[in-house]
Amino acid sequence: MKYQLRALIAEITHRCPLHCVYCSNPLEMQRRSDELSTADWLSIFQQAGEMGVLQLHLTGGEPLARSDLTELIGGARAAQLYSNLITSGVGLDERRLDELIEAGLDHIQLSFQDSGEAPANEFSGTRSHALKVRIAQMIRERHIAFTVNMVVHRRNLGRLQEMIAFAEQTGAKRLEIANVQYYGWAFRNREALLPTRQQLEQSIEIVEAARERLKGRLRIDFVFPDYYAKYPKPCMNGWGHQQMLIDPAGRVLPCHAAAVIPGLDLPSACEHALQWIWEDSAAFNRFRDESWMPEPCRSCDRRTRDFGGCRCQAFLLAGDAAATDPVCILAPQHTVVEEILQHVNVSSAREWVYRIDPS
Amino acid sequence: MNVPESNRVPRLAQGCRLNPAGSTEDLLLIPEGALHLKGPARTIVELCNGERNLSEIVAELQRQYPSAEPARIETEAVALLARLRDRGALEYV
Repeated sequence: MKYQLRALIAEITHRCPLHCVYCSNPLEMQRRSDELSTADWLSIFQQAGEMGVLQLHLTGGEPLARSDLTELIGGARAAQLYSNLITSGVGLDERRLDELIEAGLDHIQLSFQDSGEAPANEFSGTRSHALKVRIAQMIRERHIAFTVNMVVHRRNLGRLQEMIAFAEQTGAKRLEIANVQYYGWAFRNREALLPTRQQLEQSIEIVEAARERLKGRLRIDFVFPDYYAKYPKPCMNGWGHQQMLIDPAGRVLPCHAAAVIPGLDLPSACEHALQWIWEDSAAFNRFRDESWMPEPCRSCDRRTRDFGGCRCQAFLLAGDAAATDPVCILAPQHTVVEEILQHVNVSSAREWVYRIDPS
Repeated sequence: MNVPESNRVPRLAQGCRLNPAGSTEDLLLIPEGALHLKGPARTIVELCNGERNLSEIVAELQRQYPSAEPARIETEAVALLARLRDRGALEYV
């Protein structure tokens, strides 16, 4: 097998106390009654460890909504996986945090919606910000690595400097400033969230200055909004090349958004071994090599670097999952992206809808 | 690159750990992924236990690799530690 699975993203529940307008979860969420059992997940982690997976990213929804999270982290450690908890923090208290660390949790990625309480609460549709600030303090007091994740978009990029200062205060060693990626609920709210070109240019200057100032203290990673990029992102580092995502009900996907692609028969981790899914399932092989590529990808020098971009984005923007990612300036459908950007750069921000919580 | 001084005591930063010894490849697991450790790099990282200072680490390496040129061992160890520090994977006690 040419491709070595490296990272497993476990969406252990779609339940979440927050209702963020840019949630990356699919619009059709899995219900609690369909969620995998503790034993199912432990078997998956064991299989992943045996396949040489290094990292496990526990996400949701809000992973803390699962009462067996400590047991899951213990199982991940037993399978020799590095465990990263991607969380809003809501659902954490001192005792639970100690238990998670004791069970072998390696790293926490704590998300914030803004540095200011009022806007943060507005974007998440909940009064959660003040609690999250206390949780950051709780994490800081313990010996565990953590990253602050700040999701940025049109409505908060103007406060980027304050947000960086806020992250410094938390004591995190790493800050991820992540521009919203337009899938799931974020795709639905795209016109309200896409930054203007001017906002983007200013934010890049701010990030560069902050990186220089905070060198050795706080590492800053910046996730670019790819609608503004010249060439597409190497989505998932290639379809079926390194990563796998399992949803709350055990459906196995090559990426977060792949369920939107029509005709993709998503295998179930309850019915098949993870190794078979990785190596032999039709879904993981669909866009794995270069045979699916149309021109201009097929003869493009960049195809080994960006793999033609994101298949889900190609479907969402061009209506064809096997098209060149339309964010690429070489893509025949690039005008779709140009039109959206032209529109957001002259119009005022739109209203949005909040993510709902599955039953 | 910040060149470490010989009396400073390095250790792995929180959230960073080596993969189990005897695996098919030597890796340093970090929050964003994994760093490949080539040649003697794993041994160097193992010596960064928060107790030895840099000169003690170099001396220990020179003992473990008697056939290698001592000055080269020092240069390589210093360069590796500086790279890991810049990456946020190493800190000084």
